Amino acid sequence: MTPPSRDPLRPVVAWAVIALIAVPVGAAVWLGVVQGESPCILCWAQRASMVLIALVGLFVLRYGPRPRYLGMAVLLGTWGVFMSLRHSALHLARDVGQGFAAPFFGAHTYVWAWLIHWVVLGVIGVLLLLLRAEQTGAGIREPGRVGRFAMALFLVVVGANALQAFATTGPPPFVGQADPVRFSLNPRHWVWMNEELRGRISLRGSWAIPQPDPAAVDTDPSPANGPLVDLPTLPVQSWERVSASLDGQITDLARDAVTGRFLAVTDRFGVYVLDSALSRIEQRVVLDHQYSIDLTPLAGAAFVGDTLALLATNKSYLLLRPDPAADADREWRHFRETSGDVTELRRSRFATVRARQMFVLSLAYDRQADELITVSVPSPRQRRLVVSRFARADLVLASEFMPRLATNLVLGGRGRSLAEYVVTGAVAVDGKLYAFSAAYSTLLVIDLQSRAVTAAYAVPGIEHPAGLAARESTLLVAQADGRIAVVEVPGI
Amino acid sequence: MEFLNFLIMLCAAWLVWRRPEKERLAFGLLVASCVLMALLFLIGTHGSLVPGVNL
Repeated sequence: MTPPSRDPLRPVVAWAVIALIAVPVGAAVWLGVVQGESPCILCWAQRASMVLIALVGLFVLRYGPRPRYLGMAVLLGTWGVFMSLRHSALHLARDVGQGFAAPFFGAHTYVWAWLIHWVVLGVIGVLLLLLRAEQTGAGIREPGRVGRFAMALFLVVVGANALQAFATTGPPPFVGQADPVRFSLNPRHWVWMNEELRGRISLRGSWAIPQPDPAAVDTDPSPANGPLVDLPTLPVQSWERVSASLDGQITDLARDAVTGRFLAVTDRFGVYVLDSALSRIEQRVVLDHQYSIDLTPLAGAAFVGDTLALLATNKSYLLLRPDPAADADREWRHFRETSGDVTELRRSRFATVRARQMFVLSLAYDRQADELITVSVPSPRQRRLVVSRFARADLVLASEFMPRLATNLVLGGRGRSLAEYVVTGAVAVDGKLYAFSAAYSTLLVIDLQSRAVTAAYAVPGIEHPAGLAARESTLLVAQADGRIAVVEVPGI
Repeated sequence: MEFLNFLIMLCAAWLVWRRPEKERLAFGLLVASCVLMALLFLIGTHGSLVPGVNL
């Protein structure tokens, strides 16, 4: 055996093991057994990672710093940092003071785990810098007095961990819990379960949301197959067309009730203010979607007074204003192309609650409430139809609801719901939100006061509806190809 | 399973201290414990390796 006196790094490693086992791992046992704060299944894994790093330290004390020990220590440190960040990500973005379980010296345990693993990686780096070639010889070594104390402490603390784990998670095949109950020596209070083994496995989890194509929503266009049955039919009265030359497919259309002008957006980030005949371009810009915040394809447009409100599928929004005195040099950063008379006022994001993790394909402006309105589109992960309203004053969420169904409307059976509709165009008129669904080619009428779908109409013959605008007593359903169906809606 | 994992670690540490000639077995237990720890974490996250945030 190699005596300890020839290896000055050995006591350093021994003290590092003692510190790791005594402070974070020992404190975790104290938290659990004395304070009653049991670890969740992810906390257990991070604690196990710290113990395993200490175990590698024992190997180094006994056999010297062999490459496979050093490799294992770095792998464990890296995996531990990942686990802690992955765990912390569940809670870091919550509101102020909202963590999981109680904080410890101002931070929660998953944050401490990140810091500890990060420090471990740093310490390993420093020890490697100080390592000399003669210290790497093979053979069993005498760990020394401090080393033996480290080994004994390891067995005691890890033994205590094993007992705590037995009481709070149980013997195999039971695993830890997402919401563990407090520690108890009374077996009647022990909760042993395998709940975490259930559930869908996915790389991105609930964030695996496919992004919709606003110009080519892939849905069933037949109203007869929709969730609502026995709907009256609204025939297309006439067809019009955007005759002005636009670059790309239309993804939304809005009309200014005061001036009669139209606002069209396209799938190539084109924004066009058109005359009332849809034949002449008055203002035009092509947005630089890579400048500043991430803009997915534009899917919504609305006039807000003399301001143009635009919305991307990811709920990022822009406010533009026709401005004959626009500063070309300032606007260069915003627009890849411009007619020279448009100024960007603001570029930011709408934050939602019920419509979180959902994309949108429509934007409307409620002049009476002075609010912008979006309607979420469902995905395999999130099947909801959510109407979100944003105050014009601060562009923050003002209210949000999932509309109920009025008694005069009937779903076609159990399992059918309004969440099957994919709203690609919306317009607000006199306290009602008219929302056109590309799925099942259906027009929904939502009363914004009662938050109910009060009427619905089948509108057959529409292909790839992308936008909805109001003109006097008619609604204009804009197709992606620039054709516009004119329908007359009762009560508008 | 967490209980089992701590038992594996205890066995490995005991071998390192009291039976140092069984290094291969002790290191094998260390590797097995690491795999079990990683597996339990993946069970806890339901295989969702990437945090629930925008990438």
